[in-house]
Amino acid sequence: MTDAKPAAAPAPREPDIDDNGVDLAQIRAMLDLEPAERLARVAQFTNALVEMRALNGNRQSG
Amino acid sequence: MGIANPVEILRRLAAGRVELIVVGMAAGVLRGAPVTTVDLDIVHRRHPENVARLLRVLGDLDATYRHDPRRLRPAESHLVSPGHQLLDTAYGDLDCLGTVGEGLSYEDLVARAPQMDLGDGLVVHVIDLPTLIELKEQAGRPKDLAVLPVLRATLAETLRRS
Repeated sequence: MTDAKPAAAPAPREPDIDDNGVDLAQIRAMLDLEPAERLARVAQFTNALVEMRALNGNRQSG
Repeated sequence: MGIANPVEILRRLAAGRVELIVVGMAAGVLRGAPVTTVDLDIVHRRHPENVARLLRVLGDLDATYRHDPRRLRPAESHLVSPGHQLLDTAYGDLDCLGTVGEGLSYEDLVARAPQMDLGDGLVVHVIDLPTLIELKEQAGRPKDLAVLPVLRATLAETLRRS
């Protein structure tokens, strides 16, 4: 028999998705960036989409 | 639309000493919301001297009205008005808004737009999340309401960290 204290229960993990379906992990990842990096990341993503659309001849699809 | 570089637009506006506040979803992104946007919205101070500085930078950015096939350029009379000037520039879409919401001007909003440091000496006023949420709620259009859950969750996470 030892006097070892029981290990503390791990802190409950924050949910990654809230009740509205919002991805909280994405929010945390954004908040970990510097402000200019946040804007640059979104611009980079948008530019990539625009580029892909241009490569596809700007065709609309349903 | 060419390659968007909103940071470069802000850098040029700051270099031209244009007094402005970043609003809209670019402000949401700068405040940490994981959303996409294809334009940069600013509320500029409509004082004649500031409008003159803004016009000079818009000329450098080759700004034209993006919904006008004549590719008209904005003039002083447009930028001193409370209306919205929707422009295409060499670095992406830029909306210069005289007022937002219920007629709120630069002077009305600047106290609710703490400065943010975007690096390399670039410091700009960016509307805070509570005010951005308020503006979206007031606008009440489907596109504004759609982003509210993300903005509210971002505000909650920001407050939790502070």
